[in-house]
Amino acid sequence: MYELLDVQAIFTNMPKILSRLPVTLGVTFGAMLVSTAIGLTIALIKVYKVPVIRHMAGFYVSFIRGTPLLVQLYLVYYGVPRFFDYLYRAHGWFGQINFNLIPPVAFAVGAFAVNLGAYLSETIRSAIETVDRGQFEAGISIGLTRGQLMRKVILPQALLGILPNYGNTLISTVKDTSLIFMISVVDIMGQSQIIGARTLKFFEVYISVSIIYWLTCILLARILSELEKRARVYERKLVE
Amino acid sequence: MIRLSALNKYFDQHHVLRDVSLEVEKGQVMAVLGPSGSGKSTLLRCVNFLEKPSSGRIEIGSLSVEVDKADNKAVMALRAATAMVFQQYNLFKNMTALQNVMVGLTTVKKMPTSEAKGKSLRLLEKVGLGDRMDYYPSRLSGGQQQRVSIARALALNPEVILFDEPTSSLDPELVGEVLAAIKQVAKEGNTMIIVTHELHFAREVADTVVFLDKGLIVEQGDARQIFHEPKEERTRRFLDRALRPFVYQI
Ligand SMILES: Nc1ncnc2c1ncn2[C@@H]1O[C@H](COP(=O)(O)OP(=O)(O)OP(=O)(O)O)[C@@H](O)[C@H]1O
Ligand SMILES: [Mg+2]
Repeated sequence: MYELLDVQAIFTNMPKILSRLPVTLGVTFGAMLVSTAIGLTIALIKVYKVPVIRHMAGFYVSFIRGTPLLVQLYLVYYGVPRFFDYLYRAHGWFGQINFNLIPPVAFAVGAFAVNLGAYLSETIRSAIETVDRGQFEAGISIGLTRGQLMRKVILPQALLGILPNYGNTLISTVKDTSLIFMISVVDIMGQSQIIGARTLKFFEVYISVSIIYWLTCILLARILSELEKRARVYERKLVE
Repeated sequence: MIRLSALNKYFDQHHVLRDVSLEVEKGQVMAVLGPSGSGKSTLLRCVNFLEKPSSGRIEIGSLSVEVDKADNKAVMALRAATAMVFQQYNLFKNMTALQNVMVGLTTVKKMPTSEAKGKSLRLLEKVGLGDRMDYYPSRLSGGQQQRVSIARALALNPEVILFDEPTSSLDPELVGEVLAAIKQVAKEGNTMIIVTHELHFAREVADTVVFLDKGLIVEQGDARQIFHEPKEERTRRFLDRALRPFVYQI
């Protein structure tokens, strides 16, 4: 008898794949965290029109948006060690770093953070610019400094504005991290390929891993929309 | 006391304020009148450097600022000495009514939270909104929002409060409550400059009047005198047109 697939194998392999879920989620959340800092910094540089640095930021965003994520992943993985090695050999800077001791997962987080930071910076910048001018003026007129105004008034509103976008990015990132096996980080995708190669049940294993991705994304979407609902208390319209 | 001397403001080539000089005694209310585009808003915005004036001198109490030499410290001092009430209220949308009033006290004046809260609550009660302290602006009517913004302005004990058409965005039935709040604030001896198109209101609260046209002070002086027997033809025409009972045209 000829079977389309070995249904049992879909489930027997799942625990082994799931054991790598922390890697996938870790890279996702780590990258989101770092990229938020990068995105915020770039956005503020653009909003305040900081001379010179503003153009460097523009170059960075343009490069990231114009090249594939996989290429960026390779550039970071191979490029960063080369770069530091060069700085050490040519100028004696930073000392000799043994990049073999740095786990590939760190490069994965770095590359994703740099990538996401570029996209987030644009989102954050436009969100800041949608907060109406009048609130800036009111803040200035009561004597808030620009920093206080940003922290207490503008950013809370701007960040709320990007929540849906942020959530979508998070969910895309969960899926995009399936690329990191290319720099030998064993995430759920990598684990699936390893098991597939060992058992030759590639089809079943990829079904398992799709189910895992799918459920993870559904769960995240639920959590995010709940968080968003809570964050939006002040946007409820006049009810009386 | 607030005194402006020979204040000028250019937007590029456009000369928007021309040698404006005026003085408001402590505790007095000055109304600034004039046609649209005459520079009324610009005048108020120059006083707290929301717009940087091109030349002139601003004195508030013991503070004296030569505007083209004003450094950051002087600008912050001017902003501390003034408060502004905007046409569009401009409340901070991510803060409740109470937080809107408190934020200046806790952040700028570094007042302890409990003390700031007590003071803010008293101010909200004064403008009749004690029961709305936990409401976000999106859940307040325009009139209520404007009253919160008046409380926010009062919180910092400014030497002078600047009102820029505080009722112009309001539905007609909400204008009264805001004017009443402003009248109350005036009665308590606050020094105020009010830009308004509500001439009947201006006639009631103002001690002095400035009539501005194309950035130039056409006439200024005692409110009663200007409303009843303006010296200048332009002032007379403006008041006649504005105070004439409204006639529906079909
Ligand atoms: N930021 C700006 N840049 C260039 N020109 C400006 C700017 N703000 C105001 N102006 C010009 O300055 C002049 C005075 O404007 P202002 O807003 O002070 O008038 P106003 O008396 O307040 O008018 P309104 O009664 O319509 O509010 C106008 O001609 C206006 O076009
Ligand atoms: Mg105006």
